[in-house]
Amino acid sequence: MNASQGPAVDRSALRPPQPAPDVDTAPFWEATASGHLSICRCQQCGLWLQPPLERCRRCAASTAFEPVSGDGTVSTFIIQRQPAVVGFFDKVPYAVALVDLAEQPGLRLPGRIVDIDPDDVAIGMRARARIDALAGGDFHLPVFVPVD
Amino acid sequence: MDLSGCAVVGIGRTAYTRRSGRTGLALAAEAVRAALDDCGLTAADVDGITCFSTGDSASPLRVAHAIGIDDIGWAVGIHAGGNAVATVIANAAAAVITGQAETVVVYRVLDASVRYGKVTAEVSVGGVEQFAGPHGYLVPPQWFAMWARRHQHVYGSTCEDLGAIAINGRNHAANNPHAIARDPISLDDYLAGRMVVEPFRVFDCAYEVDGAVALVLTTAERAADLRHPAVHPIGAADSTGAGGMPDLWDDQTAMYSRDAAPRLWARTGLSPADIDVACMYDCFTYTIMATFEDYGFCGKGEVGDYFREGRATYGGDVVVNPHGGLLSEGYLHGLNHHYEAVLQLRGQAGARQVPDAELALVTAGAGPYGGAIVYSSRRP
Ligand SMILES: [Zn+2]
Repeated sequence: MNASQGPAVDRSALRPPQPAPDVDTAPFWEATASGHLSICRCQQCGLWLQPPLERCRRCAASTAFEPVSGDGTVSTFIIQRQPAVVGFFDKVPYAVALVDLAEQPGLRLPGRIVDIDPDDVAIGMRARARIDALAGGDFHLPVFVPVD
Repeated sequence: MDLSGCAVVGIGRTAYTRRSGRTGLALAAEAVRAALDDCGLTAADVDGITCFSTGDSASPLRVAHAIGIDDIGWAVGIHAGGNAVATVIANAAAAVITGQAETVVVYRVLDASVRYGKVTAEVSVGGVEQFAGPHGYLVPPQWFAMWARRHQHVYGSTCEDLGAIAINGRNHAANNPHAIARDPISLDDYLAGRMVVEPFRVFDCAYEVDGAVALVLTTAERAADLRHPAVHPIGAADSTGAGGMPDLWDDQTAMYSRDAAPRLWARTGLSPADIDVACMYDCFTYTIMATFEDYGFCGKGEVGDYFREGRATYGGDVVVNPHGGLLSEGYLHGLNHHYEAVLQLRGQAGARQVPDAELALVTAGAGPYGGAIVYSSRRP
């Protein structure tokens, strides 16, 4: 018996990672809080920018957040089988994908693929963003639901 | 580029263990002293020191102080992971060649406070990871499992191919008393391994350890008077793309090496066929797969057969990770690959010596950023 050991921590009660927005990313989280997916976009050349930037990386013009369709394609994905990230220890297995959004080649978000058996996820699968509440705080985030 | 006015003259390391019960500072000081002892120099000879870390390490200033140095003329800490190993050594060589320092120590230390494979405490995440962490997606095995899956989809590579890489390294580690994992594995063992993050099993992931490793670099002239044969860095190249953000890389079937390799071969005038020993950065088996293709050892999708046919081991085309790599010797963030390359080019690798080894490629990093150095046993 190890006398120095404290009471067992219920790891399943721990919060999942919470976003720490900065001034460039805050509008993304403000949009999800109101149920929408919005992405940073150059107001001059139209380039979508994810992660967001204050100014366009191509033409240095100012940017603003605009709503997107939420439609995308699974570029690749993983199935998490062993606990690795706080807040998800009791959630395995779960699938996370890199989803290429329809608005622009290479415009990509990571996101959990939900409402499907992880074993049925496939590269090339079409999916659509749905805004869900994030446990442990006030944030909302886009998860992806397969569409036929 | 000409780095040959510089030589690696000393190498040192601690034991690699699961848990040392020691501070990073203590481990780093031991490795640096061992590297100095190896070449017959002392702390009084050291006027430069450098390391890379992700903010976790005993700093160059503190390590210099801990080994008794009161005046260090060139002390440089670089905030980076395994992607920067080649950069750090090339910078140290440049410092020696340009006279900013005559004798430079390069080290890396990892203690039990650093384990990259899991996040177990509650966190808030900024930067680009704020979009990933809330999905339970925050650690490197997950990032690179994404890449491996993409390669499988595009080129038809398989888990058995990744297994061939893991088996090759583990078989080599059996001849390395310093390795943390020395029991050879079969394909059945590999496939029976715990699935961590599909498509990665436990044998696809680096073995995280406590330990430190250090190199001593000095001028080629001074090297000639020291204890061991000098080993010369003869060329280096790096590349960083996608701002170092793995998820944003345009083609995850290739890595930074797609861009760094042509640069490296052009700068050295060499080709893969010239290389005797390849210490390939292997945070994951897939890192070897993608970079091995990029550096030009074989074509896309051919790595599995290459390893299965024995071309990556003794008697083959090039011996890949004779020490067992990060997968089996231990995760020293890639600086241990340089230790092994020096040992091989000196002809001091014992039971795992690659016969007549003259040229070693040592790669660093994975995904969108990294680099490589070529070492020679002869000054060109
Ligand atoms: Zn623009």
